[in-house]
Amino acid sequence: MLPHSRWTRPAFVAAAFAVVALIGAVAAYGRNPHPKDSGSPTPSPATAPAATTAIPSPPIPLQRPEYEWHEFYFTRAIYSSGWGGWGRGGNSWAIDYPKSDHQFVTVLKRLTNLDAFDWDNAVRLDNSMIRRFPFLYALEVGSISLSDAEVEGLRGYLKAGGFLVIDDFWGSREWAQFEYQMGLVFPNNPIIDLDLDHPVFNTFYDIEEILQVPAYGRYWRGGQTHERDGYEPYVKGIEDHDGRLMVIINWNTDLGDAWEWAEQPDYPLEYSTFAFQMGVNMIVYAMSH
Amino acid sequence: MNGLFEFLFKYRPVLYQEGDFSFLSPWPLTTAAVVAAALAVPAVLTYLRARGKSSRTDRWVLGALRGAAFLLLFFIVMQPGLVLTSVVPQRNFLAVLVDDSRSMTIDDRDGTSRAGKATQLLDPEVDLVDALSEEFTLRHFRFSSRPSRIEGPDALTFDGSQTRIGDALTYARDELQGVPLSGIVVLSDGGDNSDEAIGDALLPLRAASVPVFTIGLGDEEMEADVQATRADMPERALAGTSTIVNVIVDATGYGGHTVPIVVEDMGTIVTTEVVTLPQDGQPLVAPVAITLETPGTRELTFRIPGLEGERVLENNVLHAVVQVRDRTEKVLYFEGEPRYEVAFMLRAVGVDENLQVVLLQRTAENKFFRRNLDDPLELVEGFPTTREDLYPYRALILGSVEASFFTHGQLEMIADFVSERGGTLLMLGGRRSFSEGGYKGTPLEDVLPVVLDEPRQNTPTERLARVQVTPTPAGANHPATRIDGSAEESAVRWDSLPPLSTINIVTGLKPGATQLLEGTVVAGGQGEAANRVVMAYQRYGRGRSMVLAVQDVWMWQMHHTVPLEDQSHETFWRQLLRWMIAETPDPVEAAPAREAVEAGEPVTLEATVMDEGFVEVNGARVTASITAPTGEVQELPMEWTVTDDGRYTVPFTPALEGIYEVAVSAGRDTVVLGTGLTGIRVAPGTGEFRDPHQRRGLLERIAEETGGRYYTPETASQLPEDLQFTGGGVTVTEERDLWDMPILFLLLAGLLGAEWGYRRKRGLA
Repeated sequence: MLPHSRWTRPAFVAAAFAVVALIGAVAAYGRNPHPKDSGSPTPSPATAPAATTAIPSPPIPLQRPEYEWHEFYFTRAIYSSGWGGWGRGGNSWAIDYPKSDHQFVTVLKRLTNLDAFDWDNAVRLDNSMIRRFPFLYALEVGSISLSDAEVEGLRGYLKAGGFLVIDDFWGSREWAQFEYQMGLVFPNNPIIDLDLDHPVFNTFYDIEEILQVPAYGRYWRGGQTHERDGYEPYVKGIEDHDGRLMVIINWNTDLGDAWEWAEQPDYPLEYSTFAFQMGVNMIVYAMSH
Repeated sequence: MNGLFEFLFKYRPVLYQEGDFSFLSPWPLTTAAVVAAALAVPAVLTYLRARGKSSRTDRWVLGALRGAAFLLLFFIVMQPGLVLTSVVPQRNFLAVLVDDSRSMTIDDRDGTSRAGKATQLLDPEVDLVDALSEEFTLRHFRFSSRPSRIEGPDALTFDGSQTRIGDALTYARDELQGVPLSGIVVLSDGGDNSDEAIGDALLPLRAASVPVFTIGLGDEEMEADVQATRADMPERALAGTSTIVNVIVDATGYGGHTVPIVVEDMGTIVTTEVVTLPQDGQPLVAPVAITLETPGTRELTFRIPGLEGERVLENNVLHAVVQVRDRTEKVLYFEGEPRYEVAFMLRAVGVDENLQVVLLQRTAENKFFRRNLDDPLELVEGFPTTREDLYPYRALILGSVEASFFTHGQLEMIADFVSERGGTLLMLGGRRSFSEGGYKGTPLEDVLPVVLDEPRQNTPTERLARVQVTPTPAGANHPATRIDGSAEESAVRWDSLPPLSTINIVTGLKPGATQLLEGTVVAGGQGEAANRVVMAYQRYGRGRSMVLAVQDVWMWQMHHTVPLEDQSHETFWRQLLRWMIAETPDPVEAAPAREAVEAGEPVTLEATVMDEGFVEVNGARVTASITAPTGEVQELPMEWTVTDDGRYTVPFTPALEGIYEVAVSAGRDTVVLGTGLTGIRVAPGTGEFRDPHQRRGLLERIAEETGGRYYTPETASQLPEDLQFTGGGVTVTEERDLWDMPILFLLLAGLLGAEWGYRRKRGLA
């Protein structure tokens, strides 16, 4: 995915480079790093199409051979996305999956004394078993397009006490799509800004600044941290009617990519550190508030 | 029967019991015997030697009959008699004690009240008093809560709030100390409701040979009565707490009837519980759920409406005084790792303004997260290391934290938190709890209500079991496990809740522990017990310890089968935490010696004073501030009792009926130790109407132990004669002839008649 090679014959090198670059671009488009600057049209929220790609139903830990009981399972939300074309199997929910999840859990266990399951755990929003995992992570929600069952499932999950972390979506068009979809889930719960004095920023680490964590591929291509018109990172939230924070929205930033590529020597420590700190804080917050 | 005896033997049995038998003939017994033999032997020999038609058997029978007749004649000739000690007329005093309490106003089956019967018996125009007056100088006393001398039965009012027979006997004996006292007559229904043992009052009477004669008044059985016997009401409650009060109901003659138990808070009905009355002799324990919202000293009334045919309605009502506190109580929750239980539990109780769950959560090695603090420095160094830091909390919850985290001193301090401070300890299930957390062999092993097994070597996954949680019979009506309004609704809720999981194998209860929730394994837990202890508690010293051996109560909130609007999870935690802190004492506690008194009746106010480390303080400055129903405030200094560390008392006599609010404040030097609140209900008592039948057993015991006798109003006419021979005081010895007893002549005639009859039958006449 990171095409660093040295060639002796310039023509071959150029051709090979082009091929490799193409492969890399395709691969990047299909999986990771991010394809969002591909120029694909973003539908108007009001006309968001129904999901066109069948989403998978992987077994949850209880149904897997390597099942172990643990207090915490890093759970990734499987959701329907509107126009497919990127993400594993054409689904944006699977971006960075499962490497990002595995690496984050590894670090999480070293930083805290949380009893966490070592492996990934992806669950569909319309699967009732999701209620067993009160922490949920979803990313690339710029193309999210929930079915009625998913809307119902997510609403029930969050109202019952679940906690959702949103990550890795950029710019105003993706925001509009996400905001529209969340409006279907919670028509009467506005999205609010979370200031730095919110407890989520000091539950474990004291976070004094919200950094824009870039996708690895994009940063590698020139140090750019933003995508599209997402120049400023935001941490927002949705509260229930009692003031309980149900959803944390990390917009214009990509914590998951930092978790996935933290081991890369050329990935800035500043970003990966922030991403892990933010991830730990959000989990400890979810388990204490 | 007694009449027949008296006809045959000339006197009543009591004279035979009291007197000594003797022959009153001036002849010496041996001389008389020789004379009798001289007369009898020839006669018998004549029979034995006679021949003719008689057989040997005939001669023996006739000889025996004739001999017996001779012996009987000899007995009569010897003038048998009774030697009795009888009181000297008009030289002795007799105390007449009349029960002047309210229970005497109860009508008997015949429509006459006990008071009416007593008045009738004591009427000077009636034979009984007349007979007694002929022999004794009478002194009348009345007794209820206090005894007093009266001139006569006209002074009786029958409105006393208590019956203290022992005090009355002692008082009468002391009053007549210097005069010859033949005995004490007590007219009562025997409904003694004093705290003292009656035996203490009887012993001096026995020693002084003063017999007590009791006349029992009232029906010995109530054929139709419902009684609210007791309500187990806590002395204090947190405002808004749903409390379950067990009301004990006794009923006679109404088995199977349904009646409402109406609960009033200061006159306003707060709930009504319909119960089915039990069969006779089987007390009913009726759990009644009430929620007290209004803070302050509250008077609760538990009332069962009167049923058709019930004669005593006063015992259908119970009163209780409870302190309803509207304050925030602090609970320390120490969790050893990030767990969902923390978030969900805090959320469940978060809206409860009376509960402040201070969270100390270990999120990494030596890193703690704190929440709901009063002070930024609170718990800043982690779990408290001194009693002064731990004891301000009223309850302590230990989550999944291993015993080795604590020093031995901290573990001992936690044990003392329960036993000395009176706090409640709750240990939650988890991978670092119970045996799995290494608590076996620590000071907390003794504190916990469950038996800790040796820790298993298998993994948490292998130990994991899912258990369906159900209340035990004790838990079905326990406030900590009441998750809905009524017992029935609560049971429905419990049935609907999904299973929980546990990796702790807790199966054994300690003696004295009470199990509230049990778990039936529905998945996992292979090779281990199928039934688990989920929740149990026990008293430990001044406080209580408790376990909740599951790790994901939050599933009652999150599980997809639980409707979003279901409040079981929230109610469970709130009820549990409120119950945990309900009985935790304050440093200064106050209470009257008796909860209910009557106007003008003295009562002792008591207070226990401790410092912040819950060590008794003896040299404190303690003041009781008493607010009368009129709002008038009276301040009384309380004195240390000397006999008990930290205990202070002061006597107080309320003048008015109503609720007196008492605030006892204590300080030492310039340090304020605290304030304890209590209340006194001043009202006419209904204790006199509890178990309203006559207590014949007590009256008989009083009589038997002092040498007296028990009478009914119908047999009371025997009293004067009995007193004459059984009483003490100035007495003389008296002889009474027995030779003219009808039984002797009947027997003699019978013997002679039998001889004649035998002869006729055998053809010997």
